[in-house]
Amino acid sequence: MIQKKICMLGSFSVGKTSLVKRYVSSLFDEKYHTTIGVKIDKKQVSVEGQELTLMLWDIAGEDAFFTIRPAHLRGMAGAVIVIDGTRESSFDVALSLYQMLTGLPDGQVPVCFALNKADLTDQWIIDDEKMQVLEKTGCEIVETSALENRGVDEVFQSLAGQILCMKQAV
Amino acid sequence: MDNKLLSKIHNLLDQVVFTCREDGLFEAQSIIPDWLVFHTGKHLVRGAYYLTEVFPYLDCFIEDAREHWSRQEMNPLVSEIWVETEADGREVAFQVKVMSIDNQQVMLLKRLGSSYREQSQMLQHIRESMLTQEMLEAELNVRTQQIRQREEDIALKLISLTSYRDEETGSHVRRIGLYAAKVAEAFGWSISEVNDIRVAAPMHDIGKVAIPDNVLLKAGALNDEEFSTMKKHTLIGYKMLAGSGIPVLEMAATIARSHHERWDGSGYPDGLKGSQIPLAARITAVVDIYDALVHKRVYKAAMAEQEALSLMRSMSGQHLDPEVFSVFMELLPLMRAIRQTVYEEEETEPTYSDPRL
Repeated sequence: MIQKKICMLGSFSVGKTSLVKRYVSSLFDEKYHTTIGVKIDKKQVSVEGQELTLMLWDIAGEDAFFTIRPAHLRGMAGAVIVIDGTRESSFDVALSLYQMLTGLPDGQVPVCFALNKADLTDQWIIDDEKMQVLEKTGCEIVETSALENRGVDEVFQSLAGQILCMKQAV
Repeated sequence: MDNKLLSKIHNLLDQVVFTCREDGLFEAQSIIPDWLVFHTGKHLVRGAYYLTEVFPYLDCFIEDAREHWSRQEMNPLVSEIWVETEADGREVAFQVKVMSIDNQQVMLLKRLGSSYREQSQMLQHIRESMLTQEMLEAELNVRTQQIRQREEDIALKLISLTSYRDEETGSHVRRIGLYAAKVAEAFGWSISEVNDIRVAAPMHDIGKVAIPDNVLLKAGALNDEEFSTMKKHTLIGYKMLAGSGIPVLEMAATIARSHHERWDGSGYPDGLKGSQIPLAARITAVVDIYDALVHKRVYKAAMAEQEALSLMRSMSGQHLDPEVFSVFMELLPLMRAIRQTVYEEEETEPTYSDPRL
């Protein structure tokens, strides 16, 4: 079966681990547990009749103390950049990560932006201007909530579809 | 020290020593502990392990490891920490170190215990503090914006006072603020200062509320005594606005006092010259004259923009700060856009005779 590596990227505490946990195990934990290093989970999906295994690399969030090791992105077929809709700083980190991905020597991989914590839209700071910035990247943008299980399957399914499309195009 | 003893030590330290064979499999050089058996299971082939299949993280790290081994380095290359889930659902962290010893490619696999938990707890505390700090900063920003909004509301109430006494329209005062903000931005002012001048500049004539009607509303030219009374609006405005400690009102006070100063020192009330005149007042003087010239008043017709700019050019270096005027001219398209957007029905929508200007 085809295996594809997907990297979960984003600032700390945006909900990367929660999204993976919801997607892989259908579980959600209210408490925030910081991730150190890398955690890899697998999920089998079917996209347009084709079976593939997604290797989900949940990589510790970026902050003042930790930056992502470029080696972790080696062999990556796609990335989910997670933004906490309630935190401005996570939007800025997401953009800088996207810039970093576009500069990778291996060429650009499909990227999806997960606008997470969609259950807290009353506290969101994502205004039209910020949405336009994200839309300009041409990447898929999905509103997600691991708490309410909203948009979670969609973001991974969409990315898997894009990865397969890219593979077929090649 | 024999291998058996070393192997026991490794076992006690929750670590296993492997060497990498030419076929890419890893051969254990110390006891395989129970905690590893759960993970390795079916991946044992002819006494060696497919560690890169056991631990997908190593499949990524192995490239760095091979490069390190090829350099025959004894100094260990340390991997990132990665987390695996054990049979009982607990998450356990691992780390490897690779090095070359006696031409052998060595990999030390360590199961991290308390050190990982301590590091994890410390990071958890740090990140929770960072989240709290971010939350407090966001709350502070919201509160600051609310205070600023209230300051602006108060300022607008004050500005509305002046319209009871003279002919200045509401659109005029709004435009003055918007023009001044653009010029201030071009001078590299901070966002906060730009916001201040947007609100403060329209208050430049607030002192006129204290000028008697027979002088303020006189249709003809003022005599010396009347002009002397009229000039007092600068200091009156200053006294009305100064001393609050609120930045926007302090800037408004400065502008009210100094907007009739002239670059050559011939202005009033203090006879300041050149850069002695606060920049906020110099900016306000330029944009106020522009807007007054190009719009009609009850006592005068609107001047064509080209004519107004020509007049202002002649005032530059004497009445007006030449640098501010030059910046203003560079921003002319923006000023026109403001005029197009902010006008009242009694004012005619602006048209420009010379499209190059």
